[in-house]
Amino acid sequence: MSEADPRACRTCRHFDQRAAVIESSLPGLHALSSAYGSVRAGDGLCSLRERYAADSSVCDLHAEAWSQL
Amino acid sequence: MPTCYTTRGWGSFNLDAIEAHGECFMADVDLRRLPLPVRESLWTELIRKEDWWAVWISLLLISIGIAKFASGGSLQWIAIAPQKWSNPAELIAQLQPQGLRYFAVCLLWAVLFGTGAAALGIKFSKFLPAFIALFCASAAIYCLGLWVQAAHYNLEPPLVALGLGLLVSNTVGVPRWLEPGLRVEFYIKTGIVLLGASLPLTLLAWAGPIAIVQAAIVSVVTFAAIYFSAVRLGLDRRFAATLGTGGAVCGVSGAIAIGGAVGAKRQDVSVAISLVVLWAVVMIFALPLVCRGLGLSTGVAGAWIGTSEFADAAGLAAAQAYGGYAGHVAGIAGRSEDAVAAFTLMKVIGRDVWIGVWAFVLSLIATRFWDRTGVHSRASRGDIWRRFPKFVLGFLLASAILTLLSRGYSYGDYKKELVPALIAPLQVLRTWAFTFAFLSIGLTTRVREFRSVGARPFYAFAVGVAVNLALGFVLSTQVFADFWTRVGQ
Repeated sequence: MSEADPRACRTCRHFDQRAAVIESSLPGLHALSSAYGSVRAGDGLCSLRERYAADSSVCDLHAEAWSQL
Repeated sequence: MPTCYTTRGWGSFNLDAIEAHGECFMADVDLRRLPLPVRESLWTELIRKEDWWAVWISLLLISIGIAKFASGGSLQWIAIAPQKWSNPAELIAQLQPQGLRYFAVCLLWAVLFGTGAAALGIKFSKFLPAFIALFCASAAIYCLGLWVQAAHYNLEPPLVALGLGLLVSNTVGVPRWLEPGLRVEFYIKTGIVLLGASLPLTLLAWAGPIAIVQAAIVSVVTFAAIYFSAVRLGLDRRFAATLGTGGAVCGVSGAIAIGGAVGAKRQDVSVAISLVVLWAVVMIFALPLVCRGLGLSTGVAGAWIGTSEFADAAGLAAAQAYGGYAGHVAGIAGRSEDAVAAFTLMKVIGRDVWIGVWAFVLSLIATRFWDRTGVHSRASRGDIWRRFPKFVLGFLLASAILTLLSRGYSYGDYKKELVPALIAPLQVLRTWAFTFAFLSIGLTTRVREFRSVGARPFYAFAVGVAVNLALGFVLSTQVFADFWTRVGQ
């Protein structure tokens, strides 16, 4: 899959990669780490499935929506 | 369940309306023609990630230091630090004439960290007042640590900073305006890169392999202990892996890296973070005390702390506190610097750099063997580099630069010329950065957040802590004891 895979979580509106949002959603994260660091890469929060996932992940629902376009 | 899944809002369609009606209007626009959000490029990452800003800031300071040294000057004027004192009058007499220098070092850090924070999206106008308050409190703690009786009363600056921060954040609370200035990782990464300037590359080459071997043994065994305990207690495998890497590799950073790589539940990542923070804070106080009770040399203690602490900032607080006992507490051999050096070798070189590999491997396993969740991870070898803690590159580069610079010096000339004019001022600046971090840990740690962790994750993690402590102790004090004792020589 290419970096611009339309089905990837990063293209979904339910997926939030903003560091400030991640830090406020995961209490304690900024006490001994940070959402602004390299290790997080492009991970984000999926508000639909309540998961913390990589931006390259593919969600069944999102992939299905794209396949119907 | 919502029926509409679409991109984030590029184009002319009204996402609010879509959400309000619960229907999908994607047919109204041709989403295939909209630009897809892509991953940040390497160039964007250079200004969007805290790791790189820690590298830029530290290398800038090192470059200025070298330039000043080459022209016969030094960073000594701005790298101001309190000196030993025995009574308040002596301290006031010492500080009064240096007001301008303290103002200058505060301004220097405020501009450097404020610029980095602004690039990360934290408004400079909000960062500045918070940082000034943090600097003032850090300066007071720095002064307290230099009281001649400080070691006698266990008033090591890292422990005081942490204790004071914990007291404030869990009693009166931290005002909201102070929060933008509490960037633990930003400060600690900057300090670690500066630390590279005082660790010769030859030491890294000599001690690095042993650190990697020791850390690999402990990481794999600790991960297995936590993971299998968690699975046996009925926890989800993704949660178990997140907990395991949090305890075995690099603490909270490990937990979020693996949580993202395997697609763990948000709540599970949150619990893993709380458990790591809880145990890391306990270990900051416990490990130096136990090491002191056992009379371990600073190098050996630093190696054990590096093996058994869960986070860089927490471990550096413990290692620096223990290093402070050297020369003040009877029976503790080694130099103060050895504890921090051994810790850094073990934690940064031995454990942190492998997080991308852990993420890649666990992502592969999650995709192929674990229950499907509807969100499919896609392991990529490129993620090993994406998740690599880039500040380590700055640490190695700083070490290489100073090693090259000192090549033409005899040991005597190095101690007489290079150390006071170049290395020592960088060490002072590093101590400031670490102090900001230690105080920030306490001010951002909320004990009430630990209440929701649950018994089973707690037990699983506790098993890992016990295994980690025991194995780390045996390897540091028995198997590789001679090696770590000589680390400062």
